[in-house]
Amino acid sequence: MKRLLTARWIGYPAALLLVFATIGLLKLVPGLTDSSAALFLILAVFFCAWAWESGPGVLAAIVAGLGFNYFFLPPFYTFVIEDPRNVVTFFVFLVCGLLIGRLSATARVRLRQVEAERRDLAALTDLSQGFLADTSRESLLGLAADRLRRALQSEQVSIWLAQGPGDLSELAATPGVVVQRNLVDLAYRQGNSAAYPSELGGTDIYLPIPIGVTRAGVLVARGLQSTERMAEGCAVLLGLALERERFLQIAREAEKTKTSEQMKSTLLAALAHDLTTPVATARAAVENLQTRIGASDESRLARTELESLSRHVSDLMEVVRLDSGVTRPRRERVGCGQIVEAALARFGDALSKHALFVDVPSEEIAVEVDPSQLTEALGHGLENAARYSPDGSEVRVSVSKDDDKAFIRVFDQGDGIPASDRERVFERFVRLPSTAAIPGTGLGLSISRSLVEMNGGELRIGTSEQGGAVFEIVLPKSP
Amino acid sequence: MSRILLVEDEPGMRKVVRDALERAGHRVDTAVDGRDALERLGEQSFDLVVTDLNMPELGGRELVQEVRKSSRVPILVLTVRHDEREKVALLDAGADDYVTKPFGVDELLARARALLRRTDAGRGVPPFSRWGDVSVDLESRRVLKADREVHLTPIEFALLKTFLGKPGAVWTHSQLLAAVWGTTAGVTNDTLRVHVGSLRRKLEDDPNRPRWIRTEPWVGYRFTPEQ
Repeated sequence: MKRLLTARWIGYPAALLLVFATIGLLKLVPGLTDSSAALFLILAVFFCAWAWESGPGVLAAIVAGLGFNYFFLPPFYTFVIEDPRNVVTFFVFLVCGLLIGRLSATARVRLRQVEAERRDLAALTDLSQGFLADTSRESLLGLAADRLRRALQSEQVSIWLAQGPGDLSELAATPGVVVQRNLVDLAYRQGNSAAYPSELGGTDIYLPIPIGVTRAGVLVARGLQSTERMAEGCAVLLGLALERERFLQIAREAEKTKTSEQMKSTLLAALAHDLTTPVATARAAVENLQTRIGASDESRLARTELESLSRHVSDLMEVVRLDSGVTRPRRERVGCGQIVEAALARFGDALSKHALFVDVPSEEIAVEVDPSQLTEALGHGLENAARYSPDGSEVRVSVSKDDDKAFIRVFDQGDGIPASDRERVFERFVRLPSTAAIPGTGLGLSISRSLVEMNGGELRIGTSEQGGAVFEIVLPKSP
Repeated sequence: MSRILLVEDEPGMRKVVRDALERAGHRVDTAVDGRDALERLGEQSFDLVVTDLNMPELGGRELVQEVRKSSRVPILVLTVRHDEREKVALLDAGADDYVTKPFGVDELLARARALLRRTDAGRGVPPFSRWGDVSVDLESRRVLKADREVHLTPIEFALLKTFLGKPGAVWTHSQLLAAVWGTTAGVTNDTLRVHVGSLRRKLEDDPNRPRWIRTEPWVGYRFTPEQ
C-alpha cells in the first residue's frame, strides 16, 4: 500500500513538471501557432496519463488547458479569452485533454492487469511444475515455502498443516516469518481467508489450503503483492500437491506391503514344502519297509507317530500362515451343503468308527465364504467330534438357517465341554485336563475360529440336549 | 511291465516313491526336475509320468503344460497343500490325477494303477461293468443294486456312463458338466451336486459316506469302483 501511494504522489508533481516543461519549450519556438501548441500539449497530457495514470492524467489535462489559455490564446498571460471562437477552442482542448488522458490511463491499467495475469499464470505454472517434481512430503514442503514466496511476490510465507484434528503446526516457512496464530486457527476452523494491510507493504493473507471438501491446513503470505485470487490459486495448488503426495505415499506403502506379503507367502510355501517332504518321505519309507519285511510293532508305532507329527506340522503351518496374514479369504458364493460334503469327503475318514448322520435341507443355503477355509474349519469340528466322543456313538452334522444367518453344526455324544471352558478351548495349545490322554495339538479350534471369523462368521462351542458338545459355525446368509 | 518316469527333486522322496513303484512291478526312470524330465520324454516313451509340483528349474505345472503339447501320457502329480485352485488348474492344464503329500504308498499305487489301466483299456467303455453289489449293462441300460433293478433318470445314467469311462479318475466340475450336459452354460455345480446326490442314494450303501462316487473337495468327483 505504502509503495503504491508513493508512486501516485510522484505522478502529480511529475505531470505538472512535464506540462510546464512542454509549455516552456513551446514558448522558445518562435512563430508557433496556437493549434500546434495545442497538439504538443495534448501529447504531453497523453504521456502523463500513460506514465502515471488517471489522477496525474486529469491534473495534466487541466493544467495544460489552463496553460494553453494563459500562454497561447490571446490576450497572452491572462486567463481572459477575447475571441469567442477561442473560447470554443479552449473547451475543445480541455475535453480532448481529459478524454485522451482518461483513455491513455485506462489502456495502461488494462495492460498492467494483463501483464499481471500473465505473470501470475507463469508463476502458477512454475509452481505446479515444481510441485509435480517432488515425490515426497519432505522435498515438497522443503521447497514449497520459498516457491510460494516467489510466486506470490510476498515477503514471507508460512505453511501450517493439520497433524491431527485441530492440531496445526508450522511445517515450512521462509526465514524470520512471524504469524498470528489466532488467525491461522481461525482460517483453518472457518475455512475462510483473512486479509489485511501489512506493515511489510502489500497484504497479509491467511488462506485455508483446500483438500476436496476439507482443509489440509493454512497458507500464510505476508507482504503479498499478488492478488488474493492468485494467493487462492496457490493454496489450491498446494492442496493438490499435498494430496498427490499422500496418494503417492499410499501407493508406495501398498506396493511395499504387497511385496512383503508375496515374500512371506513364498517363504511359507517353501517352509511348508521343507517340513512336509521329510515327513512324507519317512512315512512312505516306513510303509515300503513294512511291505518288504512285514509290519512289526515298531514300524506300526513309527507310522502312527509320523502321522501325528504330520498333523502337528500342518496345524503349526496353518497357525503361522494365519498369523502372517497371507491367508486372505477368497470368497465366493457356495452352499452350506457343499461345505459339509467337502468337509466330510476330506475329514470324514476320522469318523469311520462313528454313526454319521447328515441333516442338510434340500434347499441350498448360500453363504459368501472361502470354501477351502470353511471346509478346513468344519473339518476340525468333525475331527474333534470323532476324537472326543466314544466309538460307535452318533455324530450329527446339520445345516439350518434363520432370517439372516446360516448355521453349520456338529453334534457329538461325548462328555461335552464345561461352560467355564468354552472360551478357553479356543486359545492356542489349550487342552482340557480330562482329554490329556487323547492325541491332539490344541490348535484345531483356534485355527477354526480364525478361519471362520476371517470369513465374517462366528464359531461357538455349546452343549447339545443329550449333553454332548455342539460345534457351531454361524455365517451371514448370502441373499 | 509299465515304464514310469518319476520326476522329483528331493532325493529321499525320489527313492521311496521309486522303491514303491518298482515293488509294484513297474520299471522306473527318474528325473530331478521338469527340464530333465522333458529330455527323458524326448528320448523314449513312458506309460505314466509321476511328478512333484515344487521343483527348481521347471516346476510340475509347467511340465504338465509342456508335455501336453506333444503327448497324451497319463500324468500323476504329487502336491503338498490342499489348494483346490491349484488342483483344478493342474487338471485343466492336462494332469490326470494328483496325490496330496503326505500320502500313503497304497494310495499312490492305486492312483498309478488306475491311470495305467486306462491306457491299457484304450478309450472304450466296456458294455458291462460290475463292482460291489452293483452291475451296469450300458447297452440295455439296466442297473442292478443288490440284485434289484434300480431306475436311473437319463441324466443320472449319463453321469454313470461318464464315470465308467475313466474309472479311478478325478473329474472336475466343469469336465463333468461338459461331458454330461455338453455345455456349462445354464448348468451350475449345484445342479450337478443334486444329480450326483441322487445317483449316490440309488447306488451307495451310505450316501453320507460314499465309497464309489466320492467328492474331491472343491475340485469335483472321483469314481472308484474297485475300492
